[in-house]
Amino acid sequence: MQNNKAINMAAATKSWFLLITLSVIAIYLPAFVDNRSLTIIGALVIVVLKGQQIVDIFMELNNAPKLWRTLFLSYIILVPLIITIIYLV
Amino acid sequence: MSNPSITVVVPDKKLPGDLAMWFFILAELTVFAIFFIGFSVSEQLNAEMFSLGKAQLHQTAGLINTIALITSSFFVALALTKIHKAQAKQSVLLLLIAKAFAIIYISVKIWEYLSLFEQGITIETNTFFTLYFLITAFHLMHVLLGMVILSFIAHSAWQGKYQNNEFSGFEAGTSYWHMVDLLWIILFPLIYVI
Repeated sequence: MQNNKAINMAAATKSWFLLITLSVIAIYLPAFVDNRSLTIIGALVIVVLKGQQIVDIFMELNNAPKLWRTLFLSYIILVPLIITIIYLV
Repeated sequence: MSNPSITVVVPDKKLPGDLAMWFFILAELTVFAIFFIGFSVSEQLNAEMFSLGKAQLHQTAGLINTIALITSSFFVALALTKIHKAQAKQSVLLLLIAKAFAIIYISVKIWEYLSLFEQGITIETNTFFTLYFLITAFHLMHVLLGMVILSFIAHSAWQGKYQNNEFSGFEAGTSYWHMVDLLWIILFPLIYVI
């Protein structure tokens, strides 16, 4: 039990580093990518990656019933996907 | 020859916190999804106005707020691991650190609003700023409510109310806070980046 909790803390710390790194990449994306469509796709892919970390690690839905995890992961994929379609179509 | 029986123990998949809180979170996410989609459609209809509006926003402030909320969420996640280990006092300390980062978020957001007001920009300036103030202020209200919830669970933890594997109230509170973070990670690129 003690070991599992230690793993959770390590996972949360790794997740925090990843989330911060992805946020910094996102803000500088327009400076490095000239193409607006690619910037939009890149920024929204980053949203999906960050969302998965929050849902699975911070909210601990990776240990929840499959339906709830699927619902939240669907949200974090569908909303950016709809936004991407609106911007690119 | 008979095979020895093997018992595999599969841990139960359990939803953290109260079911009611998760339905409430889903409802909140749905409302914000409508805002996000509405913002995107409006931007497509008023591309130049939105481009000029976004150029007047402070990107670094957006990044600072992102880091503040993610870090706050991180400390809330750590607080949950501590309460699971019956380390209530340490859990309260981590919740206080999480609230300190939330205060950074609120301070930066107020500074952003005041900077815009000084330039004569208000909610009535144009469609972009109407949506900007509406969505960010609505999110800010959720941050404030989240802070009240964090204070409540910190107070309860300090009084030793989360014992004997009864953590559902604490877990419900932390889940709400992570929702606030989840919403911001969509809001941030939508308003500040793309």
